Amino acid sequence: MADYLPILVLMVLGFLFAAISFIASALMAPRKRPTAAKVAPYECGIVPRIEPPTRFPVRFYLVAMIFIIFDIEIVFLYPWAVVFHQLGSFGLVEVIVFATVVLVSFLFLVSNGALTWGPAARLERALPSRTSESTISRIAAGLAPAGDGDRSGTGPGQAA
Amino acid sequence: MAGATVASAATLHLPHIDYLSILPVLIMMGGAVLVVVVSSMTRRALGTSASTALSVLTGVAALVAALFQWHSVTTHGAKVTIAGAVVLDGFSVLVQVTVAVAVILSAMVADGYLKREGVDGPEFHALALLSASGAMVMGSANDLIVVFLGLEILSIALYVLTAMNHKRAESGEAALKYFVLGGFSSAIFVYGIALTYGATGSTNLPQIADYLARNVVADNGVLLAGMALLLVGFGFKVAAVPFHMWSPDVYQGAPSPVTGFMAAVAKAGAFAAVLRIFVSSLSTVRTDWQPVVTGLAVLTLVVGAAIALAQRDVKRMLAYSSINHAGFILLGLEAADPRGVSASLYYLFAYTVMVIGTFAVVTVMARDGDNGHDLEDYRGLARRQPLLALALAVLLLAQAGAPFTTGFLAKLQVVSAVVAVHGYVLAAIAMLSAAIAVFFYLRLAVVMYSPTGSVADPVPAAAGGDGEEGGGGTGAVTELLTFDRGSDAVPGLAVLTGAPPLDDVAERRVTVPVLTRAAIVISVAVTVVFGIVPAPLVDFAHRATLLFH
Repeated sequence: MADYLPILVLMVLGFLFAAISFIASALMAPRKRPTAAKVAPYECGIVPRIEPPTRFPVRFYLVAMIFIIFDIEIVFLYPWAVVFHQLGSFGLVEVIVFATVVLVSFLFLVSNGALTWGPAARLERALPSRTSESTISRIAAGLAPAGDGDRSGTGPGQAA
Repeated sequence: MAGATVASAATLHLPHIDYLSILPVLIMMGGAVLVVVVSSMTRRALGTSASTALSVLTGVAALVAALFQWHSVTTHGAKVTIAGAVVLDGFSVLVQVTVAVAVILSAMVADGYLKREGVDGPEFHALALLSASGAMVMGSANDLIVVFLGLEILSIALYVLTAMNHKRAESGEAALKYFVLGGFSSAIFVYGIALTYGATGSTNLPQIADYLARNVVADNGVLLAGMALLLVGFGFKVAAVPFHMWSPDVYQGAPSPVTGFMAAVAKAGAFAAVLRIFVSSLSTVRTDWQPVVTGLAVLTLVVGAAIALAQRDVKRMLAYSSINHAGFILLGLEAADPRGVSASLYYLFAYTVMVIGTFAVVTVMARDGDNGHDLEDYRGLARRQPLLALALAVLLLAQAGAPFTTGFLAKLQVVSAVVAVHGYVLAAIAMLSAAIAVFFYLRLAVVMYSPTGSVADPVPAAAGGDGEEGGGGTGAVTELLTFDRGSDAVPGLAVLTGAPPLDDVAERRVTVPVLTRAAIVISVAVTVVFGIVPAPLVDFAHRATLLFH
C-alpha cells in the first residue's frame, strides 16, 4: 500500500493545484464580469439573431504544432539526460537521430509558412503550376516581395 | 541528486539490437523523413513526382531488405532480438514483403491521383511510408506493447491520409469517423493488453505462452476478458462484422488510392498481429477463443457478402467485399495451426495486390473530383477502354475466387485449412458466401461489358441494371463471355491502331496516368501469373511458419 502513497500525493497535489487556481482567479481577477450586452459585437443597433462567423488565422494551429514538436522532444531529452552516462555513445547516437527527425518536422512546418507572419495572401501554398522559372520571373518583375516567405524561410531569421 | 549517483553506479543493460530484423521498418521511416526533407528544401512544383520516386525507391529498398531477412531466416533460423520485443522469422518477413509491395503499388497509383486532384505534395507519400512502417512493426512484434506501438503508428497516419483530399467534404467526414472509432478501438485494445498482462504477468508473447503452458488458470475471468477485448480491438481494425460499421463510410469517403492502401496495409498489419498473438501465444487456451472467432468469421463472411449485393456505389461495394475477405482471413485464424496461418498470410498477400489494383481502376474511373463511383459510371467501359475493363474484370474475378488467379488459391487454402481441422460447417458457409460474392463482382463486370445504350438519360440504364440483378448467375456469365469476345474484336483494335472512336465514347474516356497503368498491370500480372504458377508464392507462405507453435 505504501507503494501507492506517491501516486496519492500526486493526485492530491494535482487536485489542489486546480482548486487553488480557481480560487485564486476568483479572488484576484478584476471585477469586470462580461455581460451579454458587453460581449455583443455592437453596443447599439439591431441585436444580432445569429452568431456572426468568427475568423481566425489557422497559423495559430501551426504555432501550436511547433510547440508540440519541441514539447515531445524535451519529454524524451530529459530522461535521456538523467541516464546520459550509462547510455554512453549509443544513447547519444539515438538522441541525435531522434532530434534530427524532430528537426525535420520543424523544417516541414517552417517551409509551409508556420513562422511567417503577415498578410494571409503571402502564406498561400504555392500553386502546382509554379516552377522555379516562374518564381524567378516574378521576382524579376518585382511582383513578389523580397524574401517571399512561403518556401524559402527555413532559417532562424524567420523565427526571430 | 542522491538518486542520480546511485543510478550511475548501477550498470544499465542495453539490449542487443539485431538491425537486420528492423531494417525494413527503419528504411520506411527513413524514407518518410527523406521525403519530407526533400520537399521542404525544394520548390513544391517538383514535389509530387520526386516524392513518388522516393516513395517507390523506399518500398523497393524495404523489399530488398526483406529478402536479406529471408536469407537470414532460411540459413540461421528465426530469432528474437531487442530484449525479446521483436522477432525475425518467416512470418515477419512475409508481412514486410506484403507491406512493401502495397507501398510501391499505392505510391504509383497515388501519383496520378494527387496530380489530378491538385492536392499534390509530399504528405501522402510521407504518411503512407510511416503507416506502412507501423504495419511492419506489427508484423514483427513479439510483445503486446510493440504490437500496440505498431498499431498506433499505422492508424494515426491512416487517419490523416483519409482526410488528405481537403477539397472533398466526404474525405474529412470519413477521417473523423475513422479517427473516433479507431481511437475507441485502440483504447479497447490497450485495456485488453492490460488485462492479459494482469492474468499472465507478462506482455511478452513467448512468456505469455510459457505461463499458460505451465499453469492452469483456474479462475480465468481476467484472461478471458483480456482476450475478448483484444479480439474486439482487432475486430474494429480489420472490420470484422459486429465492428464493421465504420468501414463502408470510410472506404467511400477516403481518397480512392488511400482506400486501396488502407484496405491492404491495415488488414495486413492487424491480421499479422492477431495471428501471432492468438495462434502462437494464446494457443493453449484456444478452446476459449476459437468459438468466438468462429462466430466472428461466420458473421463477417455472410453479412459482408449479403450487404455488398445491395450496393450501387462501387467503393461501398468494395468495402463490403473487403469485409467478406476479412472473414476468409479469419478462417485461417480459426484453424489455429501453421497451415491456417500460412493460408491467411498467402491470402493477405494476394488480397493486397488485388485490392490495390482494383482501387487503382476505381481511382481513374472516378474522374476529377473523385466522385464517379456509381455503378452506372462503369457502363460500357469495355467499349470505351477495353484494356482497363479487362484489367478490372480480371481483378474482380480474382477477388471472387476464379481459378487461375491468386484469389482462387487463397480461398482454397483457407478453406482447406479449416476443413483439415474438421470445420466442415464453417467451410460450407465460407463457400456459400463466396458464391454470393461472385454475384456482385460479376454484376460490375457485366455492367462494364454491357452496351453503352442511352448514356444520356440514366433511367433505362438503371432499369437494365435492376433487370440483371434479378437475372441470376448463368445469364450474367454468358453475357460477360459474349461481350468479352466482342470487345476484343472491335474496340480493342481501335485502341491499338489509334483509330478515333465515336464521339460520345471519346469524351467519356478516362485518362489513365502512366504510373497508375503500370500499377494496374503489375497487380494483374501478379494475380494471374502466381495464380497459374502458384509454387513460389505458396511455398513462401508455407515456409513462413511461426516461431512458436
